[in-house]
Amino acid sequence: MSRAKLHQLGIELPLLPTTSVGSFPKPDYLMKARADFAKKKITRSELEQAERRATEFWIRKQEELGVDVLVDGEMYRGDMVAYFAEHMQGFQQGGLVRSYGNRYYHKPIISGEVRWKGPITVDWWKFAQGLTTRPVKGMLTGAYTVMDWSFIESYPDRRSACLALAKEIRKEVEALIEAGARIIQIDEPATSVRPEELPTAIEAMHVTTDGLPAYFITHICYGAFEQIYPGMLDFPVDNLDLEMSNSGLDLLALFRKHRYTKDISFGIVDVHTHEVEAEPVVEERLRQALETLPKDAVWVDPDCGLKTRSVEEAIAKMQSVVTAAKALRN
Amino acid sequence: MELVLANHSSYPRIGDDAGHQLLRRTIAQRDKGEKTDQDVRAAEDRLTELALEEQIAAGLDLVTDGQIRWYDPVSHLAGKLAGVHINGLLRFFDTNFYFRQPVVKAPPRRSEPLLLEEFNFARKRSSRPVKVVLTGPYTLTRLSIQSQDGAGSFEKLLEAYTSALAEEIAALAQAGATFIQVEEPAILRSPKDFTWLEQSLKTLAARRGAARLALAVYFGDPAPLYDRFQTLPVDALVLDFTYSPGLVDTVAQKGSSKVLGLGLVDGRNTRLEDPASVARQIEQVARRTGLNQAYLNPSCGLEYLPRDRAQLKLRQLAAIKKTFLGSHA
Repeated sequence: MSRAKLHQLGIELPLLPTTSVGSFPKPDYLMKARADFAKKKITRSELEQAERRATEFWIRKQEELGVDVLVDGEMYRGDMVAYFAEHMQGFQQGGLVRSYGNRYYHKPIISGEVRWKGPITVDWWKFAQGLTTRPVKGMLTGAYTVMDWSFIESYPDRRSACLALAKEIRKEVEALIEAGARIIQIDEPATSVRPEELPTAIEAMHVTTDGLPAYFITHICYGAFEQIYPGMLDFPVDNLDLEMSNSGLDLLALFRKHRYTKDISFGIVDVHTHEVEAEPVVEERLRQALETLPKDAVWVDPDCGLKTRSVEEAIAKMQSVVTAAKALRN
Repeated sequence: MELVLANHSSYPRIGDDAGHQLLRRTIAQRDKGEKTDQDVRAAEDRLTELALEEQIAAGLDLVTDGQIRWYDPVSHLAGKLAGVHINGLLRFFDTNFYFRQPVVKAPPRRSEPLLLEEFNFARKRSSRPVKVVLTGPYTLTRLSIQSQDGAGSFEKLLEAYTSALAEEIAALAQAGATFIQVEEPAILRSPKDFTWLEQSLKTLAARRGAARLALAVYFGDPAPLYDRFQTLPVDALVLDFTYSPGLVDTVAQKGSSKVLGLGLVDGRNTRLEDPASVARQIEQVARRTGLNQAYLNPSCGLEYLPRDRAQLKLRQLAAIKKTFLGSHA
């Protein structure tokens, strides 16, 4: 079904298309540029120059590795929620809160009516797509995750904040489609955390995507999948991009109990380990996937964004993904 | 009803000012070999002092050390027990905060004090009584994984964690702790395990000496278990009211045989509560239950908030109390 949709959109992909979840590590020169920009040592334009250089590096690298559907690598983003909060009306930057250990981030505060002020990611998508003939995914964070990872002051409850965000994020989706994006990924990693709110996340996705001409993917990871499956199949998207390897492929057992009905981007390498898994291990994960899932519904990628890995590790892990997919295509 | 203003447990260990970033900076420098573990301890001491000062300045009657030294609510305790190794990161309930998961290689055993030194440090620097907070054995068990040569069944592991924490509670009570809070958020997700929780708390309660022992639950609706919580061998129940719009009515209707910690101020969101509205809720509880005393505290630890907002929340507790007392004047 979704192959037909891709065909209608003018996209032909091989069996077991390879892709990545979204983020890649920032090269050292970009990390330095970001630090220098924060200290006001360089201008925004100088920072953007470094971001473009890094984006081009990752586009070229993905082409070189033979990845089928590319991403821009999110070289211009610090955090997947704060970035959108900074570019939308109705948010203010909150103070620092702890993520884990000695890591902290600025958690946004929804303090007014949320409004889309204009394209947020479109210029970056155009830049990345302009560098390659392969399809580049449009990449957004979904309304539910933006809501869940923000403080909410100006809406009476979580649902109303989420639906207001969904309406505004739809405008970004429309802008990406207008610019030419045909595959759009709307990340909802927070979905797996409060199973009771899955209906809200699904309702928000309807608001964001209904009736729009694109192949939609949503990424979900690290949570109580057993509590949101099969309910998560109701997401109005074509493809669920799921972390599988970190949790020992245990979702496959759920798929055997209740048939999986969408395309899937199947995570075959763990992103939370420095170790680059051996080829037979990665191939075996994919082989197990294909025992349960129809081959023409499976895309192949890492579990999650690779931004926490080194550049070398990220490249090696993407190489593993491509090698395994190629080995099992025939 | 006497209203005692209390912190819940944690407090931000960072802020936007340079002074509040001392600990983050020192740990980063230690990791690069530029500072020592001793420097980190000194930074932890300083941030603990600041946390105590801010709680006292906000008018709290019962303070905590802010859990400034805790890597997270799980590994800080489990990691000090013999038989336990600390592994990768996992999300802490429905927050966007991650803890390191304990891997149990052998039945956990207390081979050194866990919180005694931290309690003694805070007590010496606080003009107000210091509440000691421990993540409870049931929650530690739920959040651990057992290796093949671990403690055995879930029940055996719970017993081992319970014994270890019971020893710590006895030591804390002996050292002068007057209020010990055992946190068991995991029970709200697995109410079928209530009997196990009850057995574990019996063991802990037997070692509390003269201290007041409280059970704290949060990140879920305690209303369905409210009647059963009343039967537990604890002196106080510290409840999160933010997940349960009907909890005030439940408490008012059923009363309480325990002192209550009213978590009516949201420790997870920056929006400030309206003092009049919260005071009305307290009034409802006071009128219907006839309790002589209750604690007013945030719904959970304040570490989920930026420091400036955490401070405002604490001051809001005092504003709520003032409004509540005003309505009684």
